[in-house]
Amino acid sequence: LGIVWRITLFLWIAAAMSVALLKAPLVPVLLETTRVLYFHIPSAWVTVVALGWSMVHSILYLVRRDLRHDDHAAAAAELGLLFCIAATVTGSLWAKSMWGAYWNWDPRETSIFFILLVYSAYLALRGSIEGEEKRARLSAVYSVIAYVAVPFLVFVVPRMYETLHPDPLINTRGKVDMDPMIRWCFTAMLVGFTALFAWLQSLRVRVTRLERRLRPARA
Amino acid sequence: MAAIWAILRKECRSEWRTRYGLNAALLFAVTSLTTVSFAAGRLGARTDLLASLFWIVLLFATLASMSHAFVREVEGRTMLMLRLVASPGEIAIGKLLFNLLFLAVLEVVIVPLFLVLMGAPAPPWGVFLALLALGTLSLAATSTLIGAVIAQTRGRGALFAGISLPLLLPVLAAALTGMREMWAGHSAAGSLRLLAAYAVALLAASLLLYDHLWED
Repeated sequence: LGIVWRITLFLWIAAAMSVALLKAPLVPVLLETTRVLYFHIPSAWVTVVALGWSMVHSILYLVRRDLRHDDHAAAAAELGLLFCIAATVTGSLWAKSMWGAYWNWDPRETSIFFILLVYSAYLALRGSIEGEEKRARLSAVYSVIAYVAVPFLVFVVPRMYETLHPDPLINTRGKVDMDPMIRWCFTAMLVGFTALFAWLQSLRVRVTRLERRLRPARA
Repeated sequence: MAAIWAILRKECRSEWRTRYGLNAALLFAVTSLTTVSFAAGRLGARTDLLASLFWIVLLFATLASMSHAFVREVEGRTMLMLRLVASPGEIAIGKLLFNLLFLAVLEVVIVPLFLVLMGAPAPPWGVFLALLALGTLSLAATSTLIGAVIAQTRGRGALFAGISLPLLLPVLAAALTGMREMWAGHSAAGSLRLLAAYAVALLAASLLLYDHLWED
């Protein structure tokens, strides 16, 4: 996973971004705000993927008691939180121009805010436990119970209550009427963001492991 | 089964011996209810606000009392002893049942007091009690598990509210939306289903997790 891979990722995202920002046609009602969606939707997608990754590794840790899984769980939760902030900020910008206010406690806004709080609490919990094994064990338990809330918040709640939010990516009807160019841009950005997450994740995990190896030397 | 029952009886007995947990929680709940009632006055016509305040008072009562069950074992250094006689799952279910009972006792006092003090119109009791029961179950299931987690950390009490509140928010949101719908005369079936599904998911996940909470 060397330099070629990183340059490809850079070029890929840059190309998708340029086409999305400069070339892609606009959706009738959304007009210029269409463009922020190329960041908003991939961020939201990566949030769900990253938090799911964290939950899977938390379960694996509880089963196998191998700290390498905890490294993955912690890194994925951090990155999930980061992408969740990106999704919230881009969504809020979009809401300002479409709905007239940055924040209005729409069900979508409420649920994403709950996710932010839950995973901030996860990081706060990690920070307050001494001892690696214990920290890994307790935060894995928390991460699993936290992910129980995620599908409810992301998929159930916004469909149950009246929301102004447009249909999410995985919608009930299937957006067949989407312009082909827009669809290409979306797909490219989704793939790019997912790969970006994978790369950041591998970096974060490596840093954690290096820190662990260096700790005895420093002490 | 016998172990769960024994844990529940032991919890009740040790609580009854001192009653300081129950007294403190009751005092706290009544005080927060008084504060709300004093600040907001009678709200018979604003049932949307009533529903919110109702669940906020219950949330406070939960946060103030639910970490107690596990923290007490750690502080009294009796956790190890307890684990000799029962499996982690049995201990947890026993404590969860105790916490449910504890919340139920609190609610027997606060709920009528709330309805009277706030001048609430009589709700449709079936829906009201169903919402209350499911909400209480979810609150207790979540906070018992988080209580078990934070009992092993250094922060304990200070940490508990901050860590468990985000997980309790979805419960709170569903329960108070349901109660708003109920008081407005609409059907609360959707919120009830959501609450029930969330409660079942939480319970199932937490029962699986309890076995992994302590080192082997």
